[in-house]
This record gives sequence, C-alpha cells and structure tokens, in this order.
Amino acid sequence: MASLSIGAFYNPHLGAELVRGDGIDHLAMADPPAPGDPHWPAIRARHTLLLHDYLGQLSEPLDERSIERARTLAELYRTPWVAEHFQCLHTVDGTYNLNYVFPPLYTEDFLERFVRNATALKARLDQPLVMENIPGFFDVQASQLPEPVWLRRFFDATETGFLLDLPHVWLEAHYRAVKPERWLAGFPLDRVVELHVAGVEEDRDLGGPWIAPAEPSDEMLGFLAHAVTQCPQAKAVTFDAFSPSLTAEALFRSVERIRAAL
Amino acid sequence: MSDRALQDDVIRALADAPYRESAAWRARRLADPDRVERFARFLARHFYYERVVHFFKYSRALARVTGRGPEAVLTRPGFEALVPTIVLGSRQTAQAVAQLVVTHVGGAGPVIPYLADLLRYEAAMMVVEAGPRIWRDGPERKDEGVGSAEWSAPEKVEGTVLLELAYDLPLVLPQLLRPWSDVPQAPARSTTLLVARSPHGRVAVARSTAAVAALLRLADGRKTLAQLALDAGLEVRELEQTLHGLVELGAVRFSTGS
Repeated sequence: MASLSIGAFYNPHLGAELVRGDGIDHLAMADPPAPGDPHWPAIRARHTLLLHDYLGQLSEPLDERSIERARTLAELYRTPWVAEHFQCLHTVDGTYNLNYVFPPLYTEDFLERFVRNATALKARLDQPLVMENIPGFFDVQASQLPEPVWLRRFFDATETGFLLDLPHVWLEAHYRAVKPERWLAGFPLDRVVELHVAGVEEDRDLGGPWIAPAEPSDEMLGFLAHAVTQCPQAKAVTFDAFSPSLTAEALFRSVERIRAAL
Repeated sequence: MSDRALQDDVIRALADAPYRESAAWRARRLADPDRVERFARFLARHFYYERVVHFFKYSRALARVTGRGPEAVLTRPGFEALVPTIVLGSRQTAQAVAQLVVTHVGGAGPVIPYLADLLRYEAAMMVVEAGPRIWRDGPERKDEGVGSAEWSAPEKVEGTVLLELAYDLPLVLPQLLRPWSDVPQAPARSTTLLVARSPHGRVAVARSTAAVAALLRLADGRKTLAQLALDAGLEVRELEQTLHGLVELGAVRFSTGS
C-alpha cells in the first residue's frame, strides 16, 4: 500500500489555523467556499482538496444543473476524486425532506437505480467517483439484501471507488450487537479508496451513540488501524468532523492521533 | 407499491409525526416503531437546529447581550410539546418553532431597540424557506422569462412576505456578524423588505418599493401584463423590469395565459 494521505474537513471558522498549521495532507470540502472567505485562496493554493459536497441523491438521475455544479466544483478544487453518498432522503415529489443522510432500501430495484445513475454521473465527471456508506438506525422490512452484499454488487457493476465511513460501520455493528470487525468483514474493502474516521457521542433522542463532530476514541482508532490493513487500495484517511463547534485543537490533535495510529 | 414509493413512505413517516401515528403507517409494519420514533425525534431536533442556527444567526450574535441563545428552545419543554405535531419542512412547523425562538429571545426585554424587528425578520426568513421544493429539474424545463408569449399572467408565489419594519435592519445585519464591543445600532427608519424563496429553496431578501408592493398586491395569476401596468400605475417598461427582479427572487411566477 502506498503511503496514506491523512487529512480533515475544511471548517471555514478554522481557516486561519488550517492555512498555518502543519500535518494536514488534504482537506475535504463539504460546502463551496463562501464568497468572502479570506482564507480560501491560501487554502486552495496549499492543500489537496477533496470534493465531498451534496451533489444529489442517486436514486434519481442528477439533472444538468447538479452535474454542472459537480464539474465546476471538481475543477475548482482540482480534486483527485468526487464523493457522493448512498442516500435517499427526500421524496420524489419534494414534499418531505429529512435534511440528513438516510440510506435507501437495499433492494434489487434500488440497486439498479443507483448503478444506472452512478454510471451516468461517472461518465460526466473527469475524476473517479467514490461512494460513501450511510448508517441505518433501524432495518426496514422491505430491504431484500444485507447492506454489505448490496454495496459489493454496486461496486462490481459500476467500478466506482468506496469511501468507507468507519464510524457508520461501527454504529451499525453496535446497534446489531455484533463486533465491528466482524460486521466490517462483509464490506467490499478491496474497493476502498478513502476512509472516514471520527468520534461518536451519546444522543439523548436515540438513547445510544451516534455520529458526532468529536475526536475519535482509542477504540475507534484501533478499528481504523485494523480496517486499513484490509483496504489494499486505500489512498486517504479523513477526520470526518465538520461543525462550527469544532476547535482547532481537536482537529489537529485528531489528525495527529490518526497518523500515530497508522 | 414500488420500492421507491415504499422509501417515500418511510421518509414521510420519519418527517411527519401525525402520519407516524396513523393506522395506515402502523399497519405497514415496516420497521420497529420505537426505533422509528427515536430516529424521527433525532431528525426533528437536527432539522430545526440547523434552521434556527442559520436563520437566527443575528440573534445568536447578540446572545452575549440578551443572554438568550436561539437554539436553546430545542431542548426546552415548548419544543417537546411540539414534537407530536411536527412535519419537517412544513410552513406550519417552521412558524411554530420560529415563534418559540421569538418568545424566548424576545423575553430578554428592551435591551436592544430593534430586537423585535430583528426577530420578526429572522422568523420570516425561516418560515419563507419552508414548503415543498424542486430537487431536480426535468429535461423539459421551460423559460419563464417576462415577455414570453405563453407566460403572461404573473402570480405572487405563496409564502412571499412583505415585512414592514421600524428600523433599517439591512444596515446593521453585516455588522452583527463582525467582531464588536458596543452593540451595533440600526437607524430608526421605516423600512419594507421583501422575503421570497425560489422553487429550489433559495431564500432572498430585497428592499421593497411602492411598485413592488403594488405588484405583489395585484398579481393574482389572472391579470395580464397590460392590466397590471394599468392598475399599478406603471409604465410597461418599468413593470417588466420590476417583474423580472421579482421572478429572479422567486416572489412571482407566471401562470399560463391560456
């Protein structure tokens, strides 16, 4: 395996620190730079940037406006790959929108939809497409395939890359009461290009842990170290925290601990 | 039912609390009801946290003077009481959540002269943003420009708001988000603002004029451009320019002239 790029998300409120700081190999971009962001020119000049925006949900084909937006951002960032999520979070008619990542039903029909629409998007991009797994808090009876099997078939059909979000896998394992390493083993790890790692925190509504813009625990870093050994094509690990509440100290310390764990 | 329709049903159950309680949803037995309820509550708090922080960012910047952060309402009993009625993204729920913030932050008392105006402005932004939106364009999307022969009857878009304020807020808003030691002051000057949303969900604010106010009052989807110009007392050229701006903002759309 080539040496891994270790990075974080670009948090605009930490722009000054990210321009000056060391130890960050790349920055993932969740939002386009704000027009008045004073740090953006230096950030763009200094860092490798990864496009990780919301482009659209691939249960439907992306429209021309969304494809053009993706192409424009990819060019602006000079991104080595373009990321999107396995998500279906708003209804076809636009009436209901969860405003939060939510997985599709793992069925043959949704597999065919995602394969078709991801293939169409991939053909319109000048960079490889990678797709990120999304955690489910509950199973839906209508799903026909286990998520890892559905993902394997998707990646085999599209030959896109896999952005493996480890806390998402860890949470699913937690709520299924299985060991994270065991649940992870079923995923198509040979397709992984990038890994996300972060902390989890107790959520009052869920009555258990969930994704949070927090530092990864030692347990999560151990899980990362294990996962990386199973991902021979992995090129990058990103500290997945994007929030105005995130401090520069937490971001730099997390990246440093990730580097140390690998 | 198709898989896509089933997915929509799950999304609706998570977004729409009354539907989640309905016999129709419960009879489907698609998922563990306790897990669905917990996740729906989590989503509701997340959904309105993002909106309150975004739309009430100026009040948030004033929290060190008012002592009241807008997002605090999301963990208070008023929000808990709303949960059984919440429909994510609906105008009604946006109104109810915004009112919680207005009551909470407004309760700080007369510490800032323009606070009541500011809260009305921020609440209007949040409510205007609510409602169904277009997530993807169809391939047949038509030009809806002014002057197009088949689009000739302008109509005010539902939810568009004209705000009559006692203070000139646009002058003070940018200052509130920059570092300050003394609270930035807004000039006491009667100001009318137009708040509108594009079909794709982009909220825009513009200063309103007498012509804009007249057009929004008269644009009912039936009057032609010529009738509107006559009723509003505007030259056709001025009318077209004003309408063009209103269409760009999302405040006016065109009904088919047939």
